[in-house]
Amino acid sequence: MSQKILILSQSHLESTTDHVCLWMDYLRIPFLRVNGEDFFRFENLGDLPGDTATAAVWYRRKINSFPVEYSLKQADFQTQYTLKRFLIDEFNGVYSFLFHTISRHKWLNDPLSEDRLNKLHVLALARQHGIPTPFTEVVTTRAAIAGLLGLYQELIVKPLSECIFVEGADGEQYKMLTKTINSANLRMVPEKFFPSLVQEKIIKKFEIRSFYLDGDCYSMAIFSQNNQKTKEDFRNYDTQRPNRTVPYKLPAELELKLDQLMRSLGFRTGSIDLMVDMEGHYHFLEINPEGQFGMVSYPCNYYLEKKLARLLQQSISHEEEIHQQPERKERTAAVTVFPGER
Amino acid sequence: MSLLYDLQLRRYYHIPNDTADVYLFLQQHSIEECVAHYGEDNRETIEDYIDFVISRELGFKDQQLLPELTTLDLSWDRYADITNVIIEYNEAIDYDGPFFRELFALHVQALEIRYYHAVTLDKIRAFVERFNGTTLKYIKLVLSYDKVLDLQLLDKLVKQYPRVKSLLIHSSPVLRQEKIFDGSVPVVFFDKPINSCMACGEIRANYFVSNLELFTESQHYNTCLNRKLSINLNGYIKNCPSMQEDYGHVATASLRQVLDNPVFRRYGSIRKDDITVCRDCEFRHACTDCRAYVENPEDVYSKPLKCGYDPYTNKWEDWTQHPMKQAAIACYGLKETNN
Repeated sequence: MSQKILILSQSHLESTTDHVCLWMDYLRIPFLRVNGEDFFRFENLGDLPGDTATAAVWYRRKINSFPVEYSLKQADFQTQYTLKRFLIDEFNGVYSFLFHTISRHKWLNDPLSEDRLNKLHVLALARQHGIPTPFTEVVTTRAAIAGLLGLYQELIVKPLSECIFVEGADGEQYKMLTKTINSANLRMVPEKFFPSLVQEKIIKKFEIRSFYLDGDCYSMAIFSQNNQKTKEDFRNYDTQRPNRTVPYKLPAELELKLDQLMRSLGFRTGSIDLMVDMEGHYHFLEINPEGQFGMVSYPCNYYLEKKLARLLQQSISHEEEIHQQPERKERTAAVTVFPGER
Repeated sequence: MSLLYDLQLRRYYHIPNDTADVYLFLQQHSIEECVAHYGEDNRETIEDYIDFVISRELGFKDQQLLPELTTLDLSWDRYADITNVIIEYNEAIDYDGPFFRELFALHVQALEIRYYHAVTLDKIRAFVERFNGTTLKYIKLVLSYDKVLDLQLLDKLVKQYPRVKSLLIHSSPVLRQEKIFDGSVPVVFFDKPINSCMACGEIRANYFVSNLELFTESQHYNTCLNRKLSINLNGYIKNCPSMQEDYGHVATASLRQVLDNPVFRRYGSIRKDDITVCRDCEFRHACTDCRAYVENPEDVYSKPLKCGYDPYTNKWEDWTQHPMKQAAIACYGLKETNN
């Protein structure tokens, strides 16, 4: 049975997956795209993609929103939220079964490592590999922050998990982004608060987003420092005045360390965020294993979608080799014994 | 003159060659080294050049050269054997055959449908409808002016078929530009008729585009004809409707045979760097080019006939009046369509 590349994604808002699929099709690489939405079409576990038909897995996304909506008869904000959380957990329950049914070595990124990725652990691991990181701490009191402001001019506060979008009663949206704390606004900080991540603020010359692909770093410098809107967080996009984004080559020594870091996490792809300070020193910030690479690929002309398709293609030939090895040996043996026959 | 391309912000700056030389020198040298090289007298000029680059966010000053800011890779590739198609629509032609279906299974990105004569909205809809479910991203409609087709109806059309992202209405009573679908789809009302492909091939400054796609493709291929295919009014397959050669009829031709035909592919590999005069032109990687109408019809490597720019004097002139071009104009039979 011929094997295919399995692409796990979602049906909407996924131009990167679409783009990779177009390359796969053009390069005639057999693949199967399963969107999170397809799980609502599957009739039983037997319909899930299986191990034998799969040569390699690129796990990009689970799902953005469920194709069906449920509500409770006596709905209120609290129960509605509880139900939503519950459905997400239920969905993850069936989805992550794939992490066990499909051999782990076939996944481009180790799915279990990816699913339980921890920011503090990644920072610690980076330091172990000799990669410089900004001073990072988790604190619960204003006093602790005041103490740190004696050591560092400014701190930033950002989530330990992922940023969220909050919607107001009238549909207005609020973005959670990185914020600065300094001696001027320290008084706004409550005396005691929820355990929160603070980090030494790096005055940046520019930011770097690097897409790691099977040992190679495809990097891009992002010049956001001239723009007030994006000064602290380039995700605060300014469509009128886009940030300048240009190709960048990290020093070989740093690339080597990043390679070791990614390997130690079991990742063959992922986005790496770094910062370069005014003195030209590098600071590692975080890894995003599912990686938005379209925003690096296009402006730097890296053709990462094609390179990823080629990498997945290699996995097919690799799997075929493993399966055909005994057969090939027999044939070679037969040829040596009876050179005249075929 | 030279051209400074801002491929990201899609702008370009026309600058003197001397200025370009200074920028190229600064790639490898410090500002002080540059002043030393060109002389203290030129310090102010050099600083002005640098200020200009900074003001346009094309660069910044630093304490040292940053070799890590590598040059852009200029390679070009696409996931389709044909990326762009032009169809000169003719209702007598059957567009349902295998050639047509296979063509749009190639992941064609953009399609221009030219209607030289008035056509009903129902017929446009029926034709556009067939691209639902394909990976085609962009449709441009060239329509003949019809006062029944007002902006409201066009707005409804593009909302129903979101692949339609641009409209050009020729033979319009007045020249004007509108936008529909919340400002996302431009509609250009053109006050002259476009009733044949003879009108094509003009090189004008406002057709120049500075972007990554065109700039990189132009380094290796002909931006007008590479991976592009047309079906003309009579159903014949061509590189572009204005070219002489055809590669069979849409009803009978095999797509694979057309794609593998070296004659079909020949024009796509003619770069601007291979063309006389153009190879010295600063606009060459922003240019649309034209291989159908050239200054010397015997020489496929000669300059586009309908280009009035002289890169040696940096002057634009009316190409139709140029004495050296009259023989070619007559040869293509372009006389009548010019004015």
